[in-house]
Amino acid sequence: MQAERKESDRQVSQGAFRKFIRRPEIGAFSGMVVILLFLAIVAGDVVFNPLGIKNNLSIISQLGIIAIGACLLMIAGEFDLSIGSMIGFAGMSMAMMLKWGLPFGLGEASPFMAFTLTLCMTLFIGWIIGNIVVRSGLSSFIVTLAFLFILRGLTEVSFREFNEGSTQISGLPDFKETDFFAYLFGGETFKWAFTLLYEMGYNLNRLGNQWVIGLDAKVAWWICIAIITYIVLSRTQLGNWIYATGDNKESARANGVPVNQVKIGLFMFTAFCATVFAACQVFDTNTADAAKGNLKELEAIAAAVVGGTVMTGGFGSIVGVIFGAVIFGLVQNSVFYISWIDGSYYRVFLGTVLLIAAFANENIRKRITGGI
Amino acid sequence: MAETVAEPLVKLRGIAKKFGPFVALNGVDMDIYPGEVHALLGDNGAGKSTLIKILSGVHQPSAGEIIVDEKPVVFRSPRDASAAGIGTVYQDLALNQLMSVSRNFFMGREIFKGPPPFGMMKLKEMDIITHDEMIKIGIDISDPHQAVGTMSGGQRQTLAIARAIYFGAKILILDEPTSALGQKQQMEVLKTIKRVRALGNIAIIFITHNEIHSKLIADRYTFLSLGEVIGSGTRESLDGNDIRRLMAGGAEMADLEMELGKI
Repeated sequence: MQAERKESDRQVSQGAFRKFIRRPEIGAFSGMVVILLFLAIVAGDVVFNPLGIKNNLSIISQLGIIAIGACLLMIAGEFDLSIGSMIGFAGMSMAMMLKWGLPFGLGEASPFMAFTLTLCMTLFIGWIIGNIVVRSGLSSFIVTLAFLFILRGLTEVSFREFNEGSTQISGLPDFKETDFFAYLFGGETFKWAFTLLYEMGYNLNRLGNQWVIGLDAKVAWWICIAIITYIVLSRTQLGNWIYATGDNKESARANGVPVNQVKIGLFMFTAFCATVFAACQVFDTNTADAAKGNLKELEAIAAAVVGGTVMTGGFGSIVGVIFGAVIFGLVQNSVFYISWIDGSYYRVFLGTVLLIAAFANENIRKRITGGI
Repeated sequence: MAETVAEPLVKLRGIAKKFGPFVALNGVDMDIYPGEVHALLGDNGAGKSTLIKILSGVHQPSAGEIIVDEKPVVFRSPRDASAAGIGTVYQDLALNQLMSVSRNFFMGREIFKGPPPFGMMKLKEMDIITHDEMIKIGIDISDPHQAVGTMSGGQRQTLAIARAIYFGAKILILDEPTSALGQKQQMEVLKTIKRVRALGNIAIIFITHNEIHSKLIADRYTFLSLGEVIGSGTRESLDGNDIRRLMAGGAEMADLEMELGKI
């Protein structure tokens, strides 16, 4: 007689390799490897020399910071289109305080005060956006689109009001040389690695001195935010709530998950990411521009999708978004090094990658929800 | 006739519910005993859903009282009902398809260490408990990390029931657990219900349309029609014809056959 077959026997256990290639990040990971190899072959000497690494990682990490915010929010089932305008707003706010002092005549603004006050404002705006979304039940697409316009408009108006009609501020003092807090955002990091490279004889300029000092501080911010959010998402109670909220809001609520608070908190987190992005820019370049951050919200969402985040929520990972940001940042920055390709092809390429990724994600989602 | 000696866990006395001018329930009495399956039967619109929503705290009754363990209780919200030990497994099961079995099991009630909500989940412990609790009522999931979306309907029912019991349900309300399932899956769910019954201390309210299913596992019956109880009794006190007649809202089968014959 045949041994009795149980239902659970139909769930075939898979080997380590099969499990590995079914991970959601695998698509983004292979894409990244292909692009790295391609760039190494066609332009390895410019892309992977010390300066190339610094510049690429600078673009990758600033995109990576906001992509993580966009990813967490998407896992919880919402979008934030106001990220780009929030970057412009935060940059404007910090630069104006640094130039003309604190509001209400409270005196000179230290970089710490400028950043903290700005963060309070952006978190408050994130809180308002979140509350409107969860209380009205309107699509976050529309609510945050409204804030895309509102914040950008406010940024321009404020600039013109205080800055004799100009929408740019330049020539701020170089705070990162004198102030440790400004150095945290605008300074350099991983200097030891580049010193090591120099000592090994790889990091030399034409005069034979050390060429590149270190990476931009935003790389360290990206790494820190990525590690923290990775732990939060995959290991903590809050992580479980974020997945539950995006997967099926009603069943999450029925089981006692504070769905609304999770969403509001994540809108505030994207505002935080945008503020860190802006602070890195302001303290690095000592300038601010009302147009900063334009279209960044779409790039952040695209990087999250390329990294395997499902548009409808409930599925995605930080590791995937890291790969997504690397793909986006690398292509955006490096195509310009390749003389025989028109630089604007990068948009064509990224659009194609985005579409492929969206198809692949949908496929994964169907495979899981379709079930038996 | 073997009468149950135990006291009822829950008594409903004269439960009425009006929605504006519409009388959904008109004085319903019901006794629910531990270790028994109590089948709640009735046609569409008979008031079954309203009754379980009152029991699970979603609606408040317009009149009448709910007595749990000899004490009258008032449920202002589902949370009150669940604190009193009433666990409801709705048809949608409140499961998340993309999440793993153990993450679903502990959704909203995670085991963690550290300050909430940033406390680190004890994933190992959660996996083990999930696995053990599901084995108790008869399903051995090989992989607690499997997504719920890949489970069969019967397995999902079991997961939802195991979760309700683990989190303290003494009165388990199952809202048509066998509808929308295939034949074999239905039998799995009935087996699960039997195993829960065998635990001895849990009262099960089993809502169904299916006469055969109720005959297979119910110890006690209550029949609703147009918001009133039209019959009730133990398995021994009702025979097959009674059950069939009461399920049809009191109509005699012979009359029905005659009516059909005339057409």
